[in-house]
Amino acid sequence: MKIDDLLQQSGEWLRGSGPESDVVMSSRVRLARNLHRFPFLTVAPPSERSAIEAFVRERFEQVLAPRKIHYLTLTRMSNVDRTLLVERHLISREHAQGEGDRGVAVSTDESTSIMVNEEDHLRLQVLRSGLNLEEAWESIDRLDTTLEQHLNYAFHPRFGYLTCCPTNVGTGLRISIMVHLPAAVFAKQMDKVLQTLQRLNYTVRGLYGEGTSPVGDFYQVSNQVTLGKTERDIIGEMRKVIPEVLKFERSWRHKLVEDEPRKLEDKVWRAYGILKNARTISSEETIEHLSSLRLGVNLSIVQGIPISTVNELFIFTQPSHLQKIERKVLETEERDVVRADFIRKRLPSV
Amino acid sequence: MICGKCNKNHATVHVTEVINGVKKEAHLCEECARGAGVGIKFSFSISDILGNLVDAKPPGKPTEKAAQLKCPECGMTYSEFKSKARLGCANDYEVFRAGLIPLLEKIHQATQHVGKTPHTADGQIKKENELVRLKRELDSLVKSENFEKAAEIRDRIRTLEIDLSAGPGAQRV
Repeated sequence: MKIDDLLQQSGEWLRGSGPESDVVMSSRVRLARNLHRFPFLTVAPPSERSAIEAFVRERFEQVLAPRKIHYLTLTRMSNVDRTLLVERHLISREHAQGEGDRGVAVSTDESTSIMVNEEDHLRLQVLRSGLNLEEAWESIDRLDTTLEQHLNYAFHPRFGYLTCCPTNVGTGLRISIMVHLPAAVFAKQMDKVLQTLQRLNYTVRGLYGEGTSPVGDFYQVSNQVTLGKTERDIIGEMRKVIPEVLKFERSWRHKLVEDEPRKLEDKVWRAYGILKNARTISSEETIEHLSSLRLGVNLSIVQGIPISTVNELFIFTQPSHLQKIERKVLETEERDVVRADFIRKRLPSV
Repeated sequence: MICGKCNKNHATVHVTEVINGVKKEAHLCEECARGAGVGIKFSFSISDILGNLVDAKPPGKPTEKAAQLKCPECGMTYSEFKSKARLGCANDYEVFRAGLIPLLEKIHQATQHVGKTPHTADGQIKKENELVRLKRELDSLVKSENFEKAAEIRDRIRTLEIDLSAGPGAQRV
């Protein structure tokens, strides 16, 4: 698999076919793992990093090739290609911008990825469309069990799977549910959601993870506690919390439809109008309008646009995607023109 | 309020300094404040907060002992662990154990893993983790007055305990 292949397809998790996908964009589970007898990356010198990467790669070749998971080395990859992987949600921004020998194994359907030498030696990730934690967990659990037979993990009977940062120790399991909450944002009710979730020990962040402000009304809800609970407990608790968020968002959507139908329709159709007609558009403006359009499609205000098209536009209109599609480096203004053209072409007339 | 230094931008940083009893106030814009080296923080990373949560020395150990605490495998010292709140190798979890336990308590409100164990881990560890998990389940069942299920769990705990006390390495944890 090559990076360019990614441009000819889109991740399965973007189909919008999973449960509750009117509000839940994706379910992500992540496991942090380190190798026994290797220093953690906090102290590992470059030579040791290379040794870890080489060791893992060799094992991956035996284990992962039959599962259609292919290894890409990031060390000599161009900045645009690395950022493309971030835009695809296959690696973290930190991993793209990191140093030293590192890489990522990616499944052809983009549902599974394993970052090598990020903060921990291994970061396994499985993504699913909608609220689908059970399937995501079963898949990552199987992958982890297979890998464990070929790699010796650092494990402690009291502390569990050992990680570089004590916030990940134990199960190493972090669940992130990406929710789209345009009505709650529109009604200025997000404070309530944020406060409640934080009180329950959940972290809520913007679309692109750590240190970013929410873009396009997307929020990532993740668990903070990784130790002292079983994986099933962590998943079970999330399964109880998320439906409350869904109920809240849907109530506000319903209220908008009932109380201010004109205002809502106007917002949605203006967004469609701009996206379908603009000749130059920034990434922020695109996301803002796509968010309104997504709401409009989910509320059947706009018909004839598949939700997968809207979801894919969020991904394909980002800077590295546009540059890869055009096969050249583009300055911001040039990108805004290319982006507008791309959206007009992809968005069906209704 | 306009920045007292460049007289141009809006002042958003307000500094009060007291030197020898003389109070001095300055109102600066972000740019001038940064230029003047005023200790303002624009970014916030989790490791900053975590480091503050690590005790200056492991409980029950004198300060001079803590200063000498160093991992023979990766070379990390207790003060490095405190400042980064990151570990350097698997062995650090043993070396800094005393300082780590209160930190884990603060982050996770727990210090014992009860989740998945690798196949390579011996059966003993698996049973011990299962025991902790069952005891916790028992507590919550008793609290919710589900005595029927609680009795069932209590039996399983007893069987496991007998099993563990008979096996090798029963003193562990």
